[in-house]
Amino acid sequence: MIAESLPGSRCPRCRRVVAPPARLCPDHAVPMEPVAVPTAGEVVSFTTLHSPPEGFRAPLHIALVELPGGARLFCHGVEPLDVKIGSHVSIEEVNAVYYFSHMGLADRARMFWRRTGARGEKVAAIGKSFVKGILKGGRSREQD
Amino acid sequence: MAGAGMTRFGRRDETLPDLIAEAALAALNDAGIERPDALVVAAMNPEEFTGEGNLGSLVGTYLGLSHVPAVRVETATSSGLAAVYAGFASIAAGLHRSVLVVGGEKMTHLPTPRVSEIIGRSIDPHERRYGTTMPALAGLITRAAMHRRGLTLREISQVAVKNHAHGARNPYAHFQEPVTLEAVMESRLVADPLRLYHCCPISDGAAAVVLTAQPGLVRLVGIGQGADTIAVRYRSDLTAFRATQAAAQAAFRMAGFGPERVDVAELHDAFAPFELLSLEDTGLVPPGKAGRATMDGETALGGRLPVNLSGGLNARGHPLAATGIAQLAELWWQLTGRAGKRQVEARVGLAQSIGGIATNNWVVLLEGKR
Repeated sequence: MIAESLPGSRCPRCRRVVAPPARLCPDHAVPMEPVAVPTAGEVVSFTTLHSPPEGFRAPLHIALVELPGGARLFCHGVEPLDVKIGSHVSIEEVNAVYYFSHMGLADRARMFWRRTGARGEKVAAIGKSFVKGILKGGRSREQD
Repeated sequence: MAGAGMTRFGRRDETLPDLIAEAALAALNDAGIERPDALVVAAMNPEEFTGEGNLGSLVGTYLGLSHVPAVRVETATSSGLAAVYAGFASIAAGLHRSVLVVGGEKMTHLPTPRVSEIIGRSIDPHERRYGTTMPALAGLITRAAMHRRGLTLREISQVAVKNHAHGARNPYAHFQEPVTLEAVMESRLVADPLRLYHCCPISDGAAAVVLTAQPGLVRLVGIGQGADTIAVRYRSDLTAFRATQAAAQAAFRMAGFGPERVDVAELHDAFAPFELLSLEDTGLVPPGKAGRATMDGETALGGRLPVNLSGGLNARGHPLAATGIAQLAELWWQLTGRAGKRQVEARVGLAQSIGGIATNNWVVLLEGKR
């Protein structure tokens, strides 16, 4: 149901990855190359907007999510659930809009397992993020 | 710098040209100049707010300065200091001997969602498709700053309490009533964790300064601009504004001194936590100390480094392009001993203005003779 990857782009000069794809790198006036970015990442921050602009309904849940490889995405959430900074979320694209949903440990394991066997670098990156997430998750629960 | 003037900020019935004329004539009168060599007008978006365009010429004719060369300057919400930069540069280059710099905005006649949408056009178009407004992005930044830099809601709320207390001493301020910490912390949520009193109001108003080649009572000794990506998702750190850091470094380099010489500051507290981030981005307080300094009263009237004695954007109000110039007007009054009930002893003042979501920021340093 969840797509394997989303379209992004990478700067051939500084290797920075952005999503959705951009024509030029924000820091170098060189064309970016197409690259696929993963569909799961960590919440950098989030907010619920109670006075949205024209064309949107309150409450509007917005999150900024960092994907393995460094690209950051804005997304909408249907509900805030129990999202925290550092939470693992999966991203879906519907009609060119990204949505996040919270991933439990089982979802993350499934995601990880599904990706095993894909390109080596991707697996390493996701594996690292997975392990880091579990460590981080443990810490933040203690702080709470 | 030879003079300053401003209108009271708030909900005003006058037209934008009327407000601009009120501030401009006050500044020209203060400077004792009838006819400047040039006119620089700042307005962020009069085309959308009031339907007025060609503002340089409109204001020129309106002020009886039809044949004085005029330009209009825009860098989103920091347009006022961008106009000061244009005026300063033309004098420094020897092109003019005196320049009237005036900025204003009129927007209270429109419904709030419409105003949010128009101001929000300074946000990256892709990010705007998610309904991100300035409060939404500020909410994201605030939550990240609380998480990563340990800012507390109490420290953030104290900024609003302090700036409202200052605003109560400023006859030009939009809000002239103090608020309690409880009222701030219990006000309604706008963009979680930001509450109503953490956000500046929608205001009308205008402000003006006169810059001259002859040395006056106050010298503009440093001015710097800093830029950052329009897309917030392209930034690796949400909790410090690179554009402010770069602007401050450039301004201090020009002035030939560091933040320790600053006695009084006007910072861009469009959202209360931005005052705390800006205190650290400008180097006025060491990293991680802004919250503590605020709780200890260091940045309040009577403290070591009074910040936003005018009330700041939070209480004085934020008519966009008027704001940066109003910051200089406040510093002008502080440095020349005419700040009334909020007067402090000060020789060096710093103004910092944030354009968009910190994409185009300015820092100005003024030095008085006292």
